Amino acid sequence: MIKSILIISFLSFSVAPSLNSAEGGPCKDYGDCDQFKPDLNNMASLQRGVGTFMKYCYSCHSLKYSRWGRVANDLQIPEDIFFEYLVPDQDAGPFDLMVAPIHELEIDNAPPDLTLVARKRTSSWVYTYLRAFYDDSSTTYGSNNLVYPGVNMPNILAPIQGNQKLGCKEIPVLAKNGGEKRDEFGNTITKEKCGYLKHQDGSGLLNVEEFDEFIYDLTNFLTYVGEPSRAERERMGVYAIIFFIIFTFLSALLYREYQKDYH
Amino acid sequence: MVTKVLNWINYRLPIINTFERHLSKHPVPKKVNFWYLFGALASIVLILQIVTGIWLMMPYSNTEEGAFASIEYIMRDVDYGWIIRYMHTTGASMFFAIVYLHMFRGLLYGSYKKPKELVWIFGMTIYLVMMAEGFLGYVLPYGQMSYWGAQVIISLFGAIPYIGESLEVWVRGDYYISGITISRFFALHVVALPLILIALVFLHLVALHEVGAGNPEGVDIEEYIDEDGVPLDSVPFFPYKVLSAMPAIGVFGLVFCIIMFFFPEGGGYFLELANFEEANPLVTPEHIAPVWYYAPYYTMLRAIPDPLGGLIVMAAAVAILFVVPWLDRSNVASIRYKGILSKIAIVLFVVSFITLGYLGTVTVTETGKIMSVICTVMYFAFFLLMPIYTSIEKTHEVPDRL
Repeated sequence: MIKSILIISFLSFSVAPSLNSAEGGPCKDYGDCDQFKPDLNNMASLQRGVGTFMKYCYSCHSLKYSRWGRVANDLQIPEDIFFEYLVPDQDAGPFDLMVAPIHELEIDNAPPDLTLVARKRTSSWVYTYLRAFYDDSSTTYGSNNLVYPGVNMPNILAPIQGNQKLGCKEIPVLAKNGGEKRDEFGNTITKEKCGYLKHQDGSGLLNVEEFDEFIYDLTNFLTYVGEPSRAERERMGVYAIIFFIIFTFLSALLYREYQKDYH
Repeated sequence: MVTKVLNWINYRLPIINTFERHLSKHPVPKKVNFWYLFGALASIVLILQIVTGIWLMMPYSNTEEGAFASIEYIMRDVDYGWIIRYMHTTGASMFFAIVYLHMFRGLLYGSYKKPKELVWIFGMTIYLVMMAEGFLGYVLPYGQMSYWGAQVIISLFGAIPYIGESLEVWVRGDYYISGITISRFFALHVVALPLILIALVFLHLVALHEVGAGNPEGVDIEEYIDEDGVPLDSVPFFPYKVLSAMPAIGVFGLVFCIIMFFFPEGGGYFLELANFEEANPLVTPEHIAPVWYYAPYYTMLRAIPDPLGGLIVMAAAVAILFVVPWLDRSNVASIRYKGILSKIAIVLFVVSFITLGYLGTVTVTETGKIMSVICTVMYFAFFLLMPIYTSIEKTHEVPDRL
């Protein structure tokens, strides 16, 4: 009886999809976000990421909950090198917050702070968003984004990525049973669908794979800065779990021994 | 020396007697199953919440400007602040999970049957205070979901006729949610409600020890006692009950650590993603969802189109739990000896409660609306029809001994 209740309860929970998919796709016109798997122990990647952030993002975006010294320390960059090459503000010290100059002026509609962007929107969203800009002459900045349609941000990385336009492609028509529809010769029937990103080869500094890696490092850094203790958290977690496995095992043995007294 | 000191104290304050009566020698039924472990786990989580809460209070800033930033300060600049905060947030969800299972155990094995009515009522009051405590605590980080969640909940008071609007202002202390709301919620969350909670837990335990703990068979172990008045089917709390709780504490610690160290956001169910953005009164989040443990009631609220009606249904859903001892007319306590009607009823109840919970976390759809009405009806039917199905069904004979 109780078992059947538990099974029913378990089934009801396991069919419940995650909150994100319930909202109808966080990556909007792009479809499903590209999956991002952070690697917070890859110091080289994080160091390249903070370099990219300081060079391209920091002029408009702060990391106002994070401190310079913590980032230098966590990313294993010697402080003198960090402050000489990466921090534009001459007066900044290790305990200062990473507030961009633009945020010291009180302006309306200032670009958002990015300390927690990877936590609020997920790393996969950030990774997909930064690669989903395309040319669109109808907007103020001449660009638009599939993940964030109508975003009020110029495509700052365009010279690196090169030109990306919206194009169409032939996709297989799906039958009612979910399989691909075929004609009588067994060829897949296709239809034209538009709204896909098309990259113009050789138009940017990096090719597609190199640019993906470039954005990977930047997203990895933003994931780190969203929760700087995450790598340590996951390291400590392993020990805590080992402790509780041993604890459970030993206490179960002790319990069995004492249970003999009254059975 | 130690004995001398203890005797000196015991002569003036009955610590040894109390310790023996309520802990070391307290008789507990010798045969219980895992459902009887959640009470012990709940008290451990309560202590964990109090201790981590005290430490979180030290660096937290209860101001409109400082609240959100102080949470990030705890997560980044306070040594091991992140672990204290995650213990508190994971602890909150775990507390509710355990209490729901503990309450369900009560429904399964009739832990409210005479003479345990007061134990049940104190327990339900604890649950009610916990819901308020959880809500107040969720507002403190002052993220987007804190703000808009509070907006939705406080506006419920506005649905009450005549006094609604002034009641809203009285609760907020302002015409909109502001610094004054945060600081009063802070005072209630860290002082007032924990005090009430501890007092209620004390009463819950004293009442339980007076009438004795139950067992899955629904057997009254007090019927057969030895010459010292100790029930024959009981074992002393120490070491037997403590030892049986230890592996459970181990498994619970394991689950707790897996969540806390690897999935502290619980897929957005424990820490909602929108709450990683500071409260902004000008921008409504796309989708306002309560934390999972309020979700069933939130669905009931949404199932009724009229705000006052929704509020009444939601309040009734919690209130009806208090009178369960008088709704169950069965002559047996445990589901094991109840008839088929009770068994069907409890399965339908579980299905409806979980479905209501799921619906509360997703956006409203047409099917969802119909489902939520059906499940709300099923939820209330379980309780309102209880006097009928528990009195007409044929029950099985309960054994004399455990």
